[in-house]
Amino acid sequence: MKANNKSENNTNINSPSGVRGSESIDRSKRRSQAIAFTIFKLMSYSVVAILFVILGFIIIRGIGVISWDFLTKAPEEGMTKGGIFPAIVGTLCLVAGSSIFSFPIGIMSGIYMNEYAGGSKLATFIRIMTNNLSGVPSVVFGLFGMALFVNTMKFGDSILAGSLTLGLLSLPLVIRTTEESLKAIENSYREGSLALGATKLQTIRKVVLPMAFPNIITGLILSIGRVSGETAPILFTVAAYFLPKLPTSIFNQVMALPYHLYVISTSGTNVETSRGIAYGTALVLIVIVLMVNLLANGLRNYFSKKVKTN
Amino acid sequence: MKRFFEKFVESALLISGSITSITILLIIIFLFKEASGLFTTPVIEEGYELALNKTNPVKHLTSYEIKEIFDGKISNWNEVGGKNEAIELVRLSDLTKYYTEAELGSNFENIPAKSSELTSKHPGIILFLPTSYIKKDFNGTLLKHETLHPGDFFGGKEWYPTASPSPQYGLLPLLLGTLWVSLGAILLSLPFGISVAVYLAEIASMRVRNILKPVIELLAGIPSVVYGFFGLVVIVPFLQKLFQLPVGETALAGSVVLGIMALPTIITVAEDAMRTVPRAMKEASLALGATHWQTIYKVIIPYSKSGITSAAVLGIGRAIGETMAVLMVTGNAAVIPHTLLEPVRTIPATIAAELGETAAGGGHYQALFMLGVILFVITMIISISIEFIGKKKYSN
Amino acid sequence: MTNTRNIETNTNLSSPLGARGSLDVRGLTIDAKNVDFYYSEFHALKNINFEVSKNEVVALIGPSGCGKSTFLRLLNRMNDLIPGTRMTGSVLIDGEDIYAPNIHVDELRKEVGMVFQKPNPFPKSIFENVAYGLRVNGIKDKTFIEERVIESIKSAALWDEVKDKLNKSAFALSGGQQQRLCIARALAISPKVVLMDEPASALDPISTAKIEDLIHELKKDYTIIIVTHNMQQASRVSDKTAYFYLGELIEFDKTTTIFTNPKEHSTQNYVTGRFG
Repeated sequence: MKANNKSENNTNINSPSGVRGSESIDRSKRRSQAIAFTIFKLMSYSVVAILFVILGFIIIRGIGVISWDFLTKAPEEGMTKGGIFPAIVGTLCLVAGSSIFSFPIGIMSGIYMNEYAGGSKLATFIRIMTNNLSGVPSVVFGLFGMALFVNTMKFGDSILAGSLTLGLLSLPLVIRTTEESLKAIENSYREGSLALGATKLQTIRKVVLPMAFPNIITGLILSIGRVSGETAPILFTVAAYFLPKLPTSIFNQVMALPYHLYVISTSGTNVETSRGIAYGTALVLIVIVLMVNLLANGLRNYFSKKVKTN
Repeated sequence: MKRFFEKFVESALLISGSITSITILLIIIFLFKEASGLFTTPVIEEGYELALNKTNPVKHLTSYEIKEIFDGKISNWNEVGGKNEAIELVRLSDLTKYYTEAELGSNFENIPAKSSELTSKHPGIILFLPTSYIKKDFNGTLLKHETLHPGDFFGGKEWYPTASPSPQYGLLPLLLGTLWVSLGAILLSLPFGISVAVYLAEIASMRVRNILKPVIELLAGIPSVVYGFFGLVVIVPFLQKLFQLPVGETALAGSVVLGIMALPTIITVAEDAMRTVPRAMKEASLALGATHWQTIYKVIIPYSKSGITSAAVLGIGRAIGETMAVLMVTGNAAVIPHTLLEPVRTIPATIAAELGETAAGGGHYQALFMLGVILFVITMIISISIEFIGKKKYSN
Repeated sequence: MTNTRNIETNTNLSSPLGARGSLDVRGLTIDAKNVDFYYSEFHALKNINFEVSKNEVVALIGPSGCGKSTFLRLLNRMNDLIPGTRMTGSVLIDGEDIYAPNIHVDELRKEVGMVFQKPNPFPKSIFENVAYGLRVNGIKDKTFIEERVIESIKSAALWDEVKDKLNKSAFALSGGQQQRLCIARALAISPKVVLMDEPASALDPISTAKIEDLIHELKKDYTIIIVTHNMQQASRVSDKTAYFYLGELIEFDKTTTIFTNPKEHSTQNYVTGRFG
């Protein structure tokens, strides 16, 4: 009941005066607070419990499956044996492809929004559109990617089409991260630079961006985590059901980890016998997410220290 | 030179800035373009005809009526506005019941003549056969090639895109399935989400917050397919045992999984809203002798009402659009659900499950894009309403 | 100052305002005529006329919201950054209209340096902070930059305190040192005018005294306009004082006159501390 300490002080303030309320009212006030806070606390800890149950379950069931062969071999015998190497490579391709597209454009867009457009009507419009885009379901991105990149632009089911679709999906995240990182930079730094005769672009390049960099990079890494787990957008734009060959060009199809997990856990040739592989694949996905989060936090700390001590 | 460069960079940035707007525009254009053909696709499979006896007053059947007739659910013409006459259902393969193989000819060259004859003799007949077997002087009424009526889509109670002769593209079961699962999810996660938000914003010590925040970030980071897998191997069997169900893949399973997935969104948005409550307002309440808890529910929660509403709406939006997890745990039966313990199928799951099997440009393909349009419109409405909720707060 | 002049002629750090030296026949460094300024609808400055000669220190005083900071920011066009603002009238610096269309703000700001209320060093080393203004103005000569940086830090009376840690982060300095670093940064690009927006308001008394001493020193080489809330400070550092009230320049005269024998009743009330 650590949390109560603060508020008890508050109730005690008027108790001694005895001006208003009786002891019993004070007591019931305190009791209802204790009950409410306990409930909140329990609910919060159950959220932690949920995470640990999910992680624990998949780690315990999946850890036995992970082996060097599992990570470096192609699936065998109707995907009931072998490894997931082509899916790992495919996911890496998609993450790289989508990042090449979304990072520069997203960062530039974020810079425009925060440094140039400010509070103008245009900026408001773009901001609403960006928010709207982030609300568009991933499966709609899949439909769109199929209609535009696969069919209209004739890229076919390919790394290119999948990367572009995933890139568009992650754009709002990149833009918002950039914008918020830039917004956190106090205006006095910009004014300080401008007052020394620096142009706007020089100010952005030499003062604002270096200061915002740690937060931007953290956001970018988190967006990588998001992209590597997306399934719906790649269903119809790139993902292959079974393709042991590694890609040789951006017009190849690839397997991908999330799609592979979906396939072997629902519609594989033998769902029961490939369960082990499914646990292993899920564990690999979870590890990617964990690593991405750790890396993001680590970099954030590292850079913020570095900026301070230089 | 320097100034030209500045201008150049600024325009490049502007172009990048407009990309999200362009993307939205392109999404609208392409979804509508691909879906637009839906209401011009014929009700009857292409390359086939439905023929009736000339004396039959029925000249028009809806897609749903055709399906019910061929399912045997409508067996008398008076149910579709005709005379009191039993419906006699004849497909190409059924012709052998009326004629011997010899009569139809060794290469089926007599089928056109015989089907014409059959149609003219049986007043209750409805004959379904390829257009190529219909000869010029066919003695019967050919049903007009009507196109799918918007009412058949938006009001249709059946989703059965592979039905023959008339595929059913009824939105209702999918829409209701989506709403059931999403509402179930939000009902489960809202109390949790708000409690955690209150705890984080008001009660928890810095140390506890530093543990809880990364946990929530991690929950948000887990891919939906992993949630789906976890649901499939843990939640589905658990619910099946708990409620003694024939199958565990139910709307409830979807709601539970989606509820967990919506938690991070709800917590983050609600907590941010509670943190914007001015300190002075909080202190004013505490200074009047209110306990911390009284301050929370009398000052902080009412003040952050619009933020909490945004959190709920955003959570619903996430749930409505979620695809993979739902696809894996809800059983995907395209029927209108009556309880949360039945299998359902949502709009996104339908798109994900079926698009791979359709031919580009066909009726089924267009219907799936129309589902995409509906999903897009729903999420747009949600995004805009959140914008509106946010605005209202400032004007107050 | 001879040093500075030398450097100026040797490098590209030339005056953007056309010819070197003053174009103004009366030798005025700053000459503002009929200036009106608006924040959208709000009329923040009303018909201001303001003249400053070379190497003068002018204090701008007045209650909060009187427009003194707004006026200061007009002199290096910092108000351009605030959307929805509008200005009429003219401001001449060394005889050239700084609001003329052919003037580039970045070049103007090189001539009119500014020191802000809160110290705002960049998250760079001490050296790089001072070198920043030179670098963004296209100077690449390493030895020149080094000389100029050292000279500026010396001018800002900071040299003894930082000479051993020029490559350390500027954030490691105390508030008063940071502010003097910001002054050094402004001096490095050899401005004609230095604007100071309450430069000592965030500092302790000892640091404040150091800044005031510094202003006395800098007066020999620069024209300085300083906004301050502190009457004593205004009387200590400035040659002339301008009293602003509700967007108007009520009185502008020798500092001794303003503080001992003001013409306006309102000025007297303010400087004697009866309000504000």
